Amino acid sequence: MWDGIIIGGGLAGLLAGIRASERGKHILIISEGVGSLTYSSGALDFGDAGQLLNQENHPYALLGETSIRAGMDYFQRLFPDYQGKWGVTQNLLTPLGSPRKASIVPYGQNAESLQDARRIVLMAPDGMKDFFPEIIKTNLERSYPQCVVEVYPFRVGAFESWHAIGKSVTGMEYAKYWQSGPGISELKRVLNCLTMIFDGEVSSKKNETAVLFPGIATAFSDPLKEILSETPFPVIEMTAFPPSASGHNLYCALKQKFKSLGGELLFGTGVQRIELQGKLCDKAIVKSKGRYTAFSARSFILATGGIFGGGIEVTPEAAQETVLGLPLYVPAELTNSEFLGEQPYAHMGIEVDSELRPTGPGNKEVLFENLRVIGRMLAHWDPWTDNCGGGVSLATGWFAGEKL
Amino acid sequence: MSFEPNKAENLDACIKCSACTALCPVAAVNPLFPGPKILGPDAERFRLEGLQIGTTLLNYCSKCKTCEITCPSGVKITEMITRAQEDAKISGGGKTLQFSIRDYLFGRAEYLGRLAMISPNLTNVLLKAPPVRKILAQVLGISSEAPLPAYNPKFKGTETGRQSKKQVVYFPGCFVTYNDPPTGQAIVKVLEHNGYEVIVPSFHCCGTPLEGNGYLNEAKEIAKKNLALMDPFMRAGIPLITGCTSCGLALKECPSFEEPESELQTYDLFEFLWQLHEQNELRENFNEVQVSLGYHASCHLKAQGIGTPSVRLLRLIPGVQVAELDQGCCGLSGSYGFKKEKYNTAMQIGNPLFNRVRQGVASGEFQSVITECGGCQVQIRHGSGIKTEHPIWVLMQAYGLN
Repeated sequence: MWDGIIIGGGLAGLLAGIRASERGKHILIISEGVGSLTYSSGALDFGDAGQLLNQENHPYALLGETSIRAGMDYFQRLFPDYQGKWGVTQNLLTPLGSPRKASIVPYGQNAESLQDARRIVLMAPDGMKDFFPEIIKTNLERSYPQCVVEVYPFRVGAFESWHAIGKSVTGMEYAKYWQSGPGISELKRVLNCLTMIFDGEVSSKKNETAVLFPGIATAFSDPLKEILSETPFPVIEMTAFPPSASGHNLYCALKQKFKSLGGELLFGTGVQRIELQGKLCDKAIVKSKGRYTAFSARSFILATGGIFGGGIEVTPEAAQETVLGLPLYVPAELTNSEFLGEQPYAHMGIEVDSELRPTGPGNKEVLFENLRVIGRMLAHWDPWTDNCGGGVSLATGWFAGEKL
Repeated sequence: MSFEPNKAENLDACIKCSACTALCPVAAVNPLFPGPKILGPDAERFRLEGLQIGTTLLNYCSKCKTCEITCPSGVKITEMITRAQEDAKISGGGKTLQFSIRDYLFGRAEYLGRLAMISPNLTNVLLKAPPVRKILAQVLGISSEAPLPAYNPKFKGTETGRQSKKQVVYFPGCFVTYNDPPTGQAIVKVLEHNGYEVIVPSFHCCGTPLEGNGYLNEAKEIAKKNLALMDPFMRAGIPLITGCTSCGLALKECPSFEEPESELQTYDLFEFLWQLHEQNELRENFNEVQVSLGYHASCHLKAQGIGTPSVRLLRLIPGVQVAELDQGCCGLSGSYGFKKEKYNTAMQIGNPLFNRVRQGVASGEFQSVITECGGCQVQIRHGSGIKTEHPIWVLMQAYGLN
């Protein structure tokens, strides 16, 4: 018998698991896949909280400002390498070099110093996959017209066998290399070369230079943070296309934290169904290899994600929640012809009360007393237009972990 | 338009996200290996058109199944690669004669074990002799550095049951049978201590080494023989238990086991013991055992989708501290790491784990390592120099049985 079973091991599920375990609860997380953090930039959005808190039925409005702020503070207390302040957004760069905003940013991704720069040096590691220096240069010149943008190509010996067969090196492979012993020495060498070049220049030029570094993730690595804090110029990380090292490292850090608190993570197979006892969830039935395994718990948390995460399955005929078949809020019209505009289907999800317990369709009656729904699975919000994907996951994850 | 309910069988379920390749332990250390996405679903499109591509590269897949449990869309990537290997073997592509002979032998761990039983001591002396290893490397392509496990006199159990009410069938597997019989005896003792009569029919190999070396059909044949041996016990509703995670996975994946009537009868040892605990049927008058352990979850345990029951269970014992190492694959993957051309890859795959083990012991975080898998034990000892054994030994201590 577990104190709590969390179905889904993404950002919301893991955070709930960490908080509950920290409170001494015995927690099992059952996750079908490895979550979608590896596809994310690693930076987290909270959106315009002031406005979203007043948006009817929005998860922010259900939980209230205190809980949203608590989620944000708790996450940063767990991972001091993530920085952000309530109500303040930071600039960072997309993989194509355009500025974007986010609320909590991993160490190294904050690009504020580009505002004061007069020259941007874009590091261009040889043969890096999904890296387009010319496009980045053009975008930077457009966004930072006061800057001259120079591309600095360099080659790393460790990837010679990749280059020899014409295979590109992914950003994750580069990032992993920079964290290794030989990678750290090589990084020092590359940065020293830059320092020496800049030393030969007039001081006005070298003092106003910022260096952009793709394919590196310094958060959670003390040696890398040390090296980059010692350079005479700011070094700014770029976010990456999926799979991304920063997102993946955050996933690993969450997992490690959860396990170090005694939590158990069962992944690779999903929950097939939940056995009920009246208005209570009783057992999670997992499709293990060759047979079903039952895990019982006092409380349950559903954090299976939305359509992309597999928590909601949409067929041409209908949409359904995959574990319990909970009633879903489904907008009458699913799509909008404007591709990048607001898409009604994004609001699809489960309606809950202020305790995050699922409620029946059209009424506020709680369906299961010991079940909470968190993260992307919740109804009435749009991570893309509200820019609050990280915020909803952290706030609802924290809240469920606190209440379990 | 009709909806395809069985995503796993649907090649189109692959959304090309590359999550599998990003987490593949082989691709991480071997740039020549294109990774599961390309060798699996990408190449499968060509194979379905009758075009065999990258047949040599297929053999570098270590069958750890990390890709399968990582895939967000449930694509059976390892299965695709294994089938492609089998097809490549039939068409004669992909392997030199030397490697074909070696892989033929490695696939037959049971016969190698039986051969060694003629004289385990002599076999061990020979397997440790540098000139012999040189010959094995040159003639058969077996790495002279590989940690080939020593043989021991064969594990034997009671083949037939009496009329006891509480019975289990124990599947020891080749590693326990030929290399590590004391662990098998310990497992039997712990089960007996909990009131079970333990029956050990003369099982054959589970088939994993055959599958790993590209002999899928032979693996199915051997599974049928084992099924015939199990049949009377399965019919009587007696649970089948194994302490080896690769045997466990093979037994659970065995096609006949997916039929409803045989369901709920195959268990990993600790999965079974945990179930006893949940039903209040496990003897829990444990002695205090003051020990800190690092736990390595084998890839084939992860692929069973049962979590880490041994960690759960050992944490019930007063004094026992378990830290999960969580450093991915050890690299050995059965006989993969014994092969000349793959030894270095296997060691590189295991490096993060070996470093974590050495650091953990050096800092006093734990004293030794536990893992259910015999192969992982051999590789962790080889790579880190730290004592590594089956978790049953902690339970033996807690019960005061050793």
